Amino acid sequence: MSDLLKGNFTTKKQVTKPNETKDSDTLESTFKKAALNSIGGSMVYVERTDLTWDGED
Amino acid sequence: MTQSDMNEKFVDVVSKITEIGKDWHSQDLVTNAMANLPYTEKSFKDLPPLSESKRNSAIIVSAGPSLHKFDVLAKLKQSNYPGAIVAIDGSLVKCLKNGIIPDYVLTLDPHPTRIVRWFGDNEFEENTRNDDYFSRQDLDVEFRNNSIKENQENIDLINKYAPQIKLIICSSAPKNVVERAKDAGFDMYWWNPIVDNPKDPDSLTRQIHQINKKSCMNTGGTVGTAAWVFANAILKVPTIALTGMDLGYHSETPIEMTQTYYELQEFANTREELEQLFPTFIFPLSNEQFYTDPTYFWYRNNFLDLFSRASGKTYNCSEAGTLFADNLPCITFNQFLNSEQ
Repeated sequence: MSDLLKGNFTTKKQVTKPNETKDSDTLESTFKKAALNSIGGSMVYVERTDLTWDGED
Repeated sequence: MTQSDMNEKFVDVVSKITEIGKDWHSQDLVTNAMANLPYTEKSFKDLPPLSESKRNSAIIVSAGPSLHKFDVLAKLKQSNYPGAIVAIDGSLVKCLKNGIIPDYVLTLDPHPTRIVRWFGDNEFEENTRNDDYFSRQDLDVEFRNNSIKENQENIDLINKYAPQIKLIICSSAPKNVVERAKDAGFDMYWWNPIVDNPKDPDSLTRQIHQINKKSCMNTGGTVGTAAWVFANAILKVPTIALTGMDLGYHSETPIEMTQTYYELQEFANTREELEQLFPTFIFPLSNEQFYTDPTYFWYRNNFLDLFSRASGKTYNCSEAGTLFADNLPCITFNQFLNSEQ
């Protein structure tokens, strides 16, 4: 438990401090920044269905 | 090169792009579709039929570096090509400067300050003051070196020719592009982007369609691909040539000059690992080497994916880049023009 938060009681369950930042999260946000830089001028996005749709199910 | 040959990190990076785009643009797409509703009068269904010569063949004019490098527009002007010319927002001014009035121009990007530049931006100085998006790329050196004067000339040029051009405008277009298009006098035809599976009751595409009831079209993530989808699936032109569709960098371009170099360094521990995020391709006509970054690779995959489900013939006449496949032949632009005479 962090030095900043100490109680005068004991918890029933063991408390573990979560990792503040996982490597994969960092990479994801880094890539998000990279992608937004490069796609800035020219992007909507794609879903691989048909080429067109006219509102009919 | 196929995705299965690529390293795991590269594949992982590419796989994230769709969701990033979706997160980024979802709200803009709905907001802009609602704001544009009062102007969305005509749609694909209102397009007048093509003349016989334009019905048989079309050229897509995208805006990659090969458009300038191979003098595509001068060749096109000289050829008296009888087919349909489908340009994109980023190549429109270049066409007009070469004496070519496209039959159609596609625009789809919702960016609030950047896209209007392609139509001549009345707020140019304000919209570019703190944005180096264009200046850090060699998209138009002439414009970059003399931007205020060039912008005014573009405004005048667009104002002169817009009434002769059908603007195929997506409901996602930002307010300033719509205002500019109206002022210039374009003949506007509206559509919606397919952004997810419209058959899903909660789909965003369905939500946008409910706003204006206009037809929806897949874009492949980039306006150049949207232009090809339009020619193929809406105009139903059986023979199409692609120009300026590079989707990659020439091998002479150092990776340090690519747009995502600095961010992609975070994904690699060594130079070798970094280079794996820029897979190379040998362009079949010239045997020159090109490479992509994850974003261009994503566009490339999207195009080839859509292309595999389309009918008709398409030739890549860009003479450069990474867009080729067994079923997508590359020929020179001159070969295509000669075959169409």
